[in-house]
Amino acid sequence: MRDSSSTVADGLMAAIPIALGYFPIAFAFGVAATGHGMSGIEAFGLSLIIYAGAAQFLTLALITSGAPLLVSAFTLIAMNLRHVLYGPSLMKRAGPHARRRWSWVWAFGLTDEVFGAALGQLARGRRFSEPFMFGLAMVAYASWLSGTALGAWAGGGALKSWPAVEAGLGFMLPALFLSLLLSILSRAQLPAIVVAVLATVGVTLVWSGTAGILAGMIAGALTGLAPRKAADAR
Amino acid sequence: MRAEILTLALMVGAFTWAFRVLPTRADLSAMPEGGLLSRFLAATGPAAIATLFTASVLPMVQGGMPLPLAGGTVAVLAVFAATRSVVAATLAGSIAYGALFALT
Repeated sequence: MRDSSSTVADGLMAAIPIALGYFPIAFAFGVAATGHGMSGIEAFGLSLIIYAGAAQFLTLALITSGAPLLVSAFTLIAMNLRHVLYGPSLMKRAGPHARRRWSWVWAFGLTDEVFGAALGQLARGRRFSEPFMFGLAMVAYASWLSGTALGAWAGGGALKSWPAVEAGLGFMLPALFLSLLLSILSRAQLPAIVVAVLATVGVTLVWSGTAGILAGMIAGALTGLAPRKAADAR
Repeated sequence: MRAEILTLALMVGAFTWAFRVLPTRADLSAMPEGGLLSRFLAATGPAAIATLFTASVLPMVQGGMPLPLAGGTVAVLAVFAATRSVVAATLAGSIAYGALFALT
């Protein structure tokens, strides 16, 4: 394995593509949040505290729909449950002697994209280090916060004069979900994906969007418990 | 900041922090690869993302598949196939959607 340096600066450099992608999505969130009646502080607070794009956009929908606090919290927490898998996967790749003393700081930034970028760097020979992870996570977080702040400052009506830009930013979230889905797509997970899609559509049509999201996640995850052939498990 | 929004953010933020941080401390590598919990956790991520994609697209497809949505989706698929980059595919899909929206 190539023994590449793994300093904070290396992490900062590795995070640049993520930062470029995060900024417009966070901007769209800031615009959407103020468009849904939130203040700039509230929009920024959600990014600062939750720091999970999909959950934040769904927060807007849940708050607007008047969903009860506990239902909203459970839905959003369930949505972020997938992050449980990232730490063990990353540390397994990092090796048994990898330090994790400061993971309580840098691992808060272990988003889908940061996790993917870190794994990619390790796969290409980068040595794991906490300073590297800190740099990687910090730039992505800073990009997310600054994009949110600028979007919130621009305001909900900021893009009314540019409907095509507004439409494009509105599609950013579905595009992000589809891209993330493609990035983790495997034959073994196809049943969970199909069941999740069907349950979401069915329950949304007969009940509500919030119920559809819960049903999709739970039904899809439970599909993982079904016995499968050895070849499919790979 | 309204109290209910702050409360919601703190609850979700605390769990998100725990989901991201605590597993880096725990040694889950001993978990049997084909075990129930392992399979449930493995299916949770894809199921969540598939659900979110479906939920975000459903309002757009009611009444048919509009051209911007079709074009944006194709752009995501094509760019991801070419680059394997989540960021590039997301941006390409968004740009294609906006461009087709302007043309139609």
